[in-house]
Amino acid sequence: MRCNSRLAHVLVAGVLLAACAGGGSTGVGDATRITFMAGFSPQANLPFVGAYVARDLGYFADVGLDVAIQHSAGGGEHLQLLAAGEVDVTTQDAAVLLQRRADPGLPLVSIGLIGQRGQQAFVALADSGIETPSDWAGHTVGYKGTPPPDVFAILDAVGLEVADIELVNVGFDPRVLTEGQVDVYPVFKSNEPDTIRGWGFELNMWDAADFGVPTLGLTYVATGDMVAKEPEVLDAFMTAAIRGIEYARDHPEEAIDIVMRYVGEEGDAEHQRFILDTELIDSVSDTTAANGLGWQKAEQWSALQDLLLRYDALASPVDVSEVFTTQFLSG
Amino acid sequence: MTRRTVAGLALVVVVLGIWEVWVQASGTPVYLVPAPSDIASVLGEDASELVPAALVTLGEAVAGLALGGAIGLAMAVIVTFWGQLEQGVMSLALLIKSTPIIAVAPILTIWMGFGHGPKVIVTALLTFFPVLINSVEGFRSVDPAVTDWFRSIDVPSRQYFTHARWPSARPFLFAALKVAAPLAMIGAVVAEWMGASSGLGRLMWLAYTNLDMPSLFGAVFALTLLSAAVYRLVVAAERRTVHWA
Repeated sequence: MRCNSRLAHVLVAGVLLAACAGGGSTGVGDATRITFMAGFSPQANLPFVGAYVARDLGYFADVGLDVAIQHSAGGGEHLQLLAAGEVDVTTQDAAVLLQRRADPGLPLVSIGLIGQRGQQAFVALADSGIETPSDWAGHTVGYKGTPPPDVFAILDAVGLEVADIELVNVGFDPRVLTEGQVDVYPVFKSNEPDTIRGWGFELNMWDAADFGVPTLGLTYVATGDMVAKEPEVLDAFMTAAIRGIEYARDHPEEAIDIVMRYVGEEGDAEHQRFILDTELIDSVSDTTAANGLGWQKAEQWSALQDLLLRYDALASPVDVSEVFTTQFLSG
Repeated sequence: MTRRTVAGLALVVVVLGIWEVWVQASGTPVYLVPAPSDIASVLGEDASELVPAALVTLGEAVAGLALGGAIGLAMAVIVTFWGQLEQGVMSLALLIKSTPIIAVAPILTIWMGFGHGPKVIVTALLTFFPVLINSVEGFRSVDPAVTDWFRSIDVPSRQYFTHARWPSARPFLFAALKVAAPLAMIGAVVAEWMGASSGLGRLMWLAYTNLDMPSLFGAVFALTLLSAAVYRLVVAAERRTVHWA
């Protein structure tokens, strides 16, 4: 790993470095050591699974890589570490990638678009009487941190105004829905619906993509500098990671066994299976059917950027051609 | 302006200067550590956002401090009048004090919703303990000569409390408030960080998740100023109330 020219930043970001403590450095035997940091805690998000499987089944070793896998706490530090050169590859939601590329100008490049649809959706309790987004009028609609453009796009799609609903910052605890503190709750499709249903509640769910909204999900991310200077490393990484995802698609039970080694004994294998199955569904599209898993097109990124700009969710337009590359995908 | 004030300001200017030069010279990216000049720009540009947010946080902190202080004081009075309850009251207080706020805050939101209520409660949970401990100590620190005199004239315990224990506890109470007031600001921010639609904590959370370090440091600076102002207010109140302070 390329730590040598980053010492000044290392001093600056001591806390960040602590997270990097297990990170690798160049060369272990014949293998090139790199660090992959998953963008959240261990779970069966598909890009994480690709890396877990590739490491545990030797796919990384097959392409000459020794990959150290770390996990972010989810606060954005993985992007700081990536930009500072302490991590080589990470994962990030496509919309956030565009936002961070625009401000503060992080040199992020998507090297594989694994989520061909957005991660979030909105749910209401099935017995709430809220059957369609048109029924959101007069109800509280939650958001996590900042209102996503998805919610405004859905409102537009059904002819509602923002003033027709009450937007509430609900954080990340779905119990606020089941306890009646909010009527419509934003979920990560592959995660919270399974949790809430596990508590015995049925849900009505709305995905912005079903209303023609051009959402995108998780990507593998590297820096523009690494894409330019070490393409062979990224090519090897993506070859092995996509192979890992394909293995998980074809052998989900075995893949979950591998995931559980990272999640730990306290994890729920059935819940991890839900995450994996949901994200496998969202990993395919006409684009991937024609070109293979992880493929991405300028049209997809442009449409997402237009959406973010339309709803003031992007500080400024970015050059979409610099946001992604397909050079490490088999096509 | 006194020489001490000038020296203090000079020290702050030197530290900020070293920070600025170091960030500029090392080329440290703004998303890792912002230069003081970046933070100053944000403070100017975002003042219209920072001031209302600071007022929200201040309101929650003051309400939480008032509630926490009242509870702490009430518990201290109970312990003072009914000594047999001391172990139970203090055990309960320690239990509450030892509970991680990060675990309690989401539950309060589930119970009470997304308004200011949970933030006030979180702040009260953080601030009641120093008031309780100091008040108990203060109520017990009556000059023995004074106690002997009150005993000699057989004064009822309520009057003994009003005329001996309460005056004796006031310096302790203000010492507690000097600790609890800045703590209240932090409590309000922590509660807002967990989920809020306004306040400095929300601004900090947004800046943190957006990797907007100048705004994050700007909000921290605003919080620091506010905490210092609240502390000064407590000191001023102490000087007016406790004559030997």
